[in-house]
Amino acid sequence: MNSSGHNPSVPLQQMSVIKRRLTYMMVLVFITFPFIYLKVNPLEILTAYPSIVSFFGENFFPPDFSGFKNYVPLIIETLLFAVVGTYISAILAFILGLAMSENINPIALVRWLVRTFSSLVRNIPVLVWASLLVYIFGIGSMVGLLALILATLGFLTRSYAETIDDIADTKLEALKANGASPIQVIVNGLMPEFIPSWVNWTLFSFEINIRASAILGMVGAGGIGIMIQTNIRLFKYQEALALIITLVILILLTEFAVTKIRKAIL
Amino acid sequence: MKGPLLKITNLSKRYDGNKIALKNITLEIQPKEFVVIIGPSGAGKSTLIRCLNQLVKPSEGEIIFDGEDISKAKGKKLRQLRGKIGMIFQHYNLISRTNVLKNVLNGKLGSVPFWVSTFGLYSQEDRLQAYNLLKTVGLQDSLYQQAKDLSGGQMQRVGICRALMQEPSLILADEPIASLDPKSSEVVMDYLKKVTEERDLTCIVNLHQVEVAKKYATRIIGVREGEIVFDGTSEELSEDIIKNIYHLPEKKQEVILPVPGFVAEGEAVYE
Repeated sequence: MNSSGHNPSVPLQQMSVIKRRLTYMMVLVFITFPFIYLKVNPLEILTAYPSIVSFFGENFFPPDFSGFKNYVPLIIETLLFAVVGTYISAILAFILGLAMSENINPIALVRWLVRTFSSLVRNIPVLVWASLLVYIFGIGSMVGLLALILATLGFLTRSYAETIDDIADTKLEALKANGASPIQVIVNGLMPEFIPSWVNWTLFSFEINIRASAILGMVGAGGIGIMIQTNIRLFKYQEALALIITLVILILLTEFAVTKIRKAIL
Repeated sequence: MKGPLLKITNLSKRYDGNKIALKNITLEIQPKEFVVIIGPSGAGKSTLIRCLNQLVKPSEGEIIFDGEDISKAKGKKLRQLRGKIGMIFQHYNLISRTNVLKNVLNGKLGSVPFWVSTFGLYSQEDRLQAYNLLKTVGLQDSLYQQAKDLSGGQMQRVGICRALMQEPSLILADEPIASLDPKSSEVVMDYLKKVTEERDLTCIVNLHQVEVAKKYATRIIGVREGEIVFDGTSEELSEDIIKNIYHLPEKKQEVILPVPGFVAEGEAVYE
């Protein structure tokens, strides 16, 4: 091939040499810098695994299900936290989603307030909410529920608002042209179109909530988490493992059920 | 003789303050006219038709529809006036997860209280009327199909039924056949023409196909860069006039695509 000549050849991409080398360098820094800063030897992480496995094998096996029936109420509590937390947020988030949507709500100030509120509650992790609320209300189930609702509300409001904006952009024009009032546009146009995304987002947040609800107990906000933590602290590893297995089964069953529901509805 | 159904005076529309979509449009439309507006894309056809029912707010001017100024109307008054104007869209704008019958009944939204539409308490007469409309377009067997499962041509026929359900005196159609194949286009246009004649309706249609415009229109309006450049019958629309409507002053089209000065060792070098 004639590589030294000035024959016109077609480059595969429009990226200058400098830009390309800069990109490679940044990727390299991104990969190595954290280890240097954290003073962690990546090899040590790998060599730590055998001791983790052996500790786990010696202390956690076999799982001890003898106290299982004492945990049943806590498991139900965990599940119900997720159920109630999700549906209350779903209803509130629909209203807030409408208020946040540019195509539905003409009042810019209200939209801004809702957006600020939703991003505020969304960006505070559920565990932080829970530990904060425990200080305010004391240990108990209400705190867990409140924390779940707040975190879910922020997430769902934004997701709903984006979907509502997409729908309202095009299709609803027709109903406006029919002479429909804003409420009629929402009920007869927006809501039917919104159902698939509503189901999707809500089920998605239910899956997140069942996981979140399982750890809420660790800060004293109710549910199965408290027992897992207590057992580990008391070195009752075999009972802790039984609980963890139960939790995993619970989550798997939820995922299975959610997939089924999704298929049935959509 | 009654006056014009629609009287537009000095209608202008600017988007975002500067881009001018319509310039001083003045126009009268008589009852029973079948007006087709033609013009290149971006000429302002869509903006013009949407100003008539206030889906787009005009920047200036007056639109008198049926003796009332719709450009000043707000709230309930505006909804009442919109109720008398049926509209058909290029993308049909049906509610896709609602069945065909309910989509047609949505045409009644402007004239029923909200609890009737919310809980589906439409009278049997309304339901029968919707059924009969669908029967005339051959969709009586698809009443309970969701709109999303229909073909484009079928959707547009539902769209027309929805507009007729309003019992309008004016029908606006914004590129009703632009997304349809020739066969469906013919069915839709034939039906639109037929029902407007049968019911003594006035119809304003945006089209970009000149041939179709000539076939159906009683009056053709040519729009170019936001201005009316032709207003007459199909016979008066000569080849020269068509060229004039679609001819745009040549714009400088500079395509700025970086071309590599030369290529060394497989790397493009830009200067």
